[in-house]
Amino acid sequence: MKEKIDQLKAQAAERITSMTKNLQELDEARVQYLGKKGELTALLRGMKDLSKEDRPKVGKIVNEARAQIEALIAERKEELQKKALEERLASEKIDVTLPGRRPDIGHLHPLSLTLDRIKTIFLNMGFSVEEGPEIEKDYFNFEALNLPKDHPARDMQDSFYITEDILMRSQTSPVQARTMQKNEPNAPIRMIAPGRVYRRDEYDATHSPMFTQVEGLVIDKGITLADLKGTLELFLRQIFNENVGVRFRPSFFPFTEPSAEVDISCVMCHGKGCKVCKGTGWLEILGAGMVHPHVLEMSGYDPKVVSGFAFGMGVERIAMLSYGVDDLRLFYDNDKRFLRQF
Amino acid sequence: MQVSIKWLKDYIDFDLTAEELADKFTMAGVPVENVIRADAGLDKVVTGRIEKLAPHPDSDHLQICQMNVGEGPLIQIITGAQNVAEGQIVPVAMVGAHLPNGQKIAKGKLRGLPSNGMLCSAGELHMDLSKLTEDQKNGIYILPADTPVGVPAKDVLGLDDVVLEFELTANRGDCFSVFGLVREIAVLTGNQPKWPEITVKEDDPAKTADLVKIGIDDPDLCSRFSARVIRNVKIGPSPEWMQERLEGAGIRAINNVVDVTNFVMVELGQPMHAYDYDALVGHSLTARRAKEGENLHTLDDTSRLARGGELVIADEEKPGCLAGVMGAFETEITDKTQTIVLEAASFYGPSIRRTARACGLHSEASGRFERGVDVTQTQRALNRAAQLLQEMGACTVAQGIVDVYPDPKPQVTVDFTTQQINGRLGTDLPGSKMVEILTSLGFDVEETSADTYHVTVPSWRNDVTYMEDLSEEVARIIGFEEIPSTTPFGRVMQGHQSDRQDFIEQIKHTLVRFGMTEELSFSFTNTTMLDKLNVPADSKLRRAIPIMNPLTDDYPLVRTSLLTSVIENAVRNFARKNTDLCYFDVAPVFYPKQLPLTELPDEVVKVAGLMTGRRNEVAWNQKSDMIDFYDAKGMVENLLQVLGISKYTVEAGEHFALHPGKTAVFKKGLEVIATVGELHPQVAANFGFKQAVYLFEADVETLMKYRAKKPHIEGLPKYPSISRDLAMTVDVSVPAADIERVIARHGGKHFRDVTLFDVYTGKQVEKGKKSMAFNLRFQSKDRTLKDEEADAAFRKILEAVGKQFNAELRA
Repeated sequence: MKEKIDQLKAQAAERITSMTKNLQELDEARVQYLGKKGELTALLRGMKDLSKEDRPKVGKIVNEARAQIEALIAERKEELQKKALEERLASEKIDVTLPGRRPDIGHLHPLSLTLDRIKTIFLNMGFSVEEGPEIEKDYFNFEALNLPKDHPARDMQDSFYITEDILMRSQTSPVQARTMQKNEPNAPIRMIAPGRVYRRDEYDATHSPMFTQVEGLVIDKGITLADLKGTLELFLRQIFNENVGVRFRPSFFPFTEPSAEVDISCVMCHGKGCKVCKGTGWLEILGAGMVHPHVLEMSGYDPKVVSGFAFGMGVERIAMLSYGVDDLRLFYDNDKRFLRQF
Repeated sequence: MQVSIKWLKDYIDFDLTAEELADKFTMAGVPVENVIRADAGLDKVVTGRIEKLAPHPDSDHLQICQMNVGEGPLIQIITGAQNVAEGQIVPVAMVGAHLPNGQKIAKGKLRGLPSNGMLCSAGELHMDLSKLTEDQKNGIYILPADTPVGVPAKDVLGLDDVVLEFELTANRGDCFSVFGLVREIAVLTGNQPKWPEITVKEDDPAKTADLVKIGIDDPDLCSRFSARVIRNVKIGPSPEWMQERLEGAGIRAINNVVDVTNFVMVELGQPMHAYDYDALVGHSLTARRAKEGENLHTLDDTSRLARGGELVIADEEKPGCLAGVMGAFETEITDKTQTIVLEAASFYGPSIRRTARACGLHSEASGRFERGVDVTQTQRALNRAAQLLQEMGACTVAQGIVDVYPDPKPQVTVDFTTQQINGRLGTDLPGSKMVEILTSLGFDVEETSADTYHVTVPSWRNDVTYMEDLSEEVARIIGFEEIPSTTPFGRVMQGHQSDRQDFIEQIKHTLVRFGMTEELSFSFTNTTMLDKLNVPADSKLRRAIPIMNPLTDDYPLVRTSLLTSVIENAVRNFARKNTDLCYFDVAPVFYPKQLPLTELPDEVVKVAGLMTGRRNEVAWNQKSDMIDFYDAKGMVENLLQVLGISKYTVEAGEHFALHPGKTAVFKKGLEVIATVGELHPQVAANFGFKQAVYLFEADVETLMKYRAKKPHIEGLPKYPSISRDLAMTVDVSVPAADIERVIARHGGKHFRDVTLFDVYTGKQVEKGKKSMAFNLRFQSKDRTLKDEEADAAFRKILEAVGKQFNAELRA
């Protein structure tokens, strides 16, 4: 009996380990030996013919054999499963260098992106965003800003006129006067006014008949030129970089006194001098100044009680410098190939 | 304004280079735009003698020069010039030179023979060709025979001066003069100016007052008119030194009299004019307003009709001179002029500016009057001019000056305290520092009590009237870099933007989310655009606001439609072979309340979109179907969903620019909130489009009105839903939206939603019919719904749909 079992065991081992090529064959082998009608099962069933003494002995041997065969099957099963998985993986290999499937991406315009950055910086400093009409009264665009008719500084801005008294605003500064006049006299103001402005400039690499400006105005008791410097330095370091050089140059605007042009160290050459900064190492980026007492008075504020500063910047210029764009027309051409980069 | 360093150095010493001086000026608020070096690019140009000249063996026009350039051996240069000869001394650009015209000189070969440099022409050296003879201009510039060899060419060509070109701000009229700039240099360097002594010897017995009559009829336009008469005038060239200085100032030398008036103008900042005395009818000069239609025969031999109101200088008969802008033809100084009236006057800037602009004539004089001249200087200017001409031996000077100054300008005074200026600047300067700065600038400062000052403003500083102006003087002289940096944010303020601004940003971000790209467009349009867009004649879009002075005739109107903008952008992109476009624009259009405008127009912010071309980019694994109507409509549906606008209806609509069968309007009640459709084939043809283009447009304020104030968010359902499919055949003309509406109306309380999942017309369906399949879902909020309940509801729907649309049901 024992020989018979050993023989069967050896047969099974042979069959399981080297004659099964896949899980199905392995299962067939299992059925052959361990199934209800299997050979080992048959041996077990034949035990009823054995003597009482032999029965437990043989039973033990059979059960051991069964356990051994089961172990072999489990082992083989694992082997075959692994092999099957490997084969599957090998057969499923694809060319991962083929391009991925890409839904079309929408893009905000680079000037919107730049304006958003500017707005965020000022909103975080407690500035509100104000608006005004694009077709504006000469009064708000010029006169309320201390620019009476025939003022030579009006030449600086050749404007599109609709009538003698109405024009397409040439700057966002009229929002200054509008905001002051909307307020209680001498109420503190901290605002920016972004928007489109219009000038009769030929369309070229650095000029456009329409462009985007951001005006700023801060009015309160005790506002100083030093506050203007500090605020604009803070802004410029955020919009460009922490280490950008900032320079204030005295200048002239009819609506501020003192007035300043604000330069940053050239972002292209870092101040060494290049084509972009015309070799000076500096780039003009902002106009600013302390609000002229006339401007405060005309809008109902008392220059003896409050003072303020104002500034204005071109969004196109900041975008050109931050993105390294050398032709302003790219912004208004809206060529798909350009815009998709943002 | 431009001036040479030489001229400045006539009146003050300084060790600064031109660049350093320019920087100091700029940082003090007197901006220098350019430093122009006449010798720019001449670093490696030297004088050389042609020792040997031989024809090039392989060329009929080239010549081989052996050049002596001082030290070292002779160098060989091949030249194409024909005006050279052995023994001549010429400018030689050595290897490594970078000439003013941009040309770089390198070692080279010409027809096989080495050439190590270039012989230069006057033009190549940027010399002033207007001062050269024809011979000097053509070919190589031949230097005098006694020129030393091997020295820098700029030294022998007189190209050693440097010119500063200023871009003066409108307030600093005083810096429009050499004296004004010298005053600034004195303050910036601490050096003392060496002012010239202005004295004149009245050596002619005649009295000016007897010779000439001066009058001012309109003192608001001419506040002062002073004149001198000089006799026995000998017209001739002015001296070299004067011509050189004028040239540095960008003014061409003409003759001694004109040169002197120009010289005094640049030196003192006082424009002058010289009249031929004998040509003045009645020997009289009157400053008055021109009458409309008066004829002015000006210096340029042009007849100009006065518009009326401009300031002219007239003799007894007629006006000739447009004051401050251009002289009269008849009284121009000529070679035959013997007696001259010199004028120095003060004209009202805004009026001069208006006249100069109207005539398109901006002169050195008008620029100065516009910014304001120092009214106290007229006599000084006349004396200076007479003195200079007298020193040249060009005239005798009559006795006295005729000076009409009806209403002398009072001195301007300003009071300030140390605290006021420090309070404005954020500084902590002592009063003594402020006094020092103001005094050095020519202000007369008197301390009235501790830290309180009374300031008399010098006559040349028309721009100073307030304490604030004084604060600027202090700030610019100490330097803005000395002002501390602080922030005013002690008081906490809440930064915010308006609801409308937030809403516009939400629209932009939503469309970008769904793959659209934002464009920015100009606010201008033209009638042709509106014609092409098929805008009806009576549409309000036709009432676009005209611009009085458009940049070009192409865009004379302010836009009334944003569709023109998205279409123009498509035209531009198509021309560049970008044919797959998904663009949107959010911008205002302008509707006048009336034309011509008497009040500001309505500015209405619109959102417009344009979609065309392939839905996806061509790729190996992507379908690239063409965008159709439903892509554009889906875009609008998505936008409305994100904006929280629901419960709108959609129906077939009409729009002048859209395909009549492919236009949908989104409505809230009777109000249209958005329109979407295919561009009308005729309109598409007008723009030359060869592919279908889809457009949508909405009004931002209207959308805003219907958005949900708060987003409506529901939790997830706890109980399963039951789904039923409904297929039917109906007439093709039945709108899907109508069927969905009937389904929803008859769905009962457990009806959840309906999805149209198939539409078919074709072989399987009878002609004139379409097959549609809907999926319906039923669900209860508080229990699991029974099949029977869903079936009951479904039957009601079937019945209603079957009846209302004459539908053949295939449930």
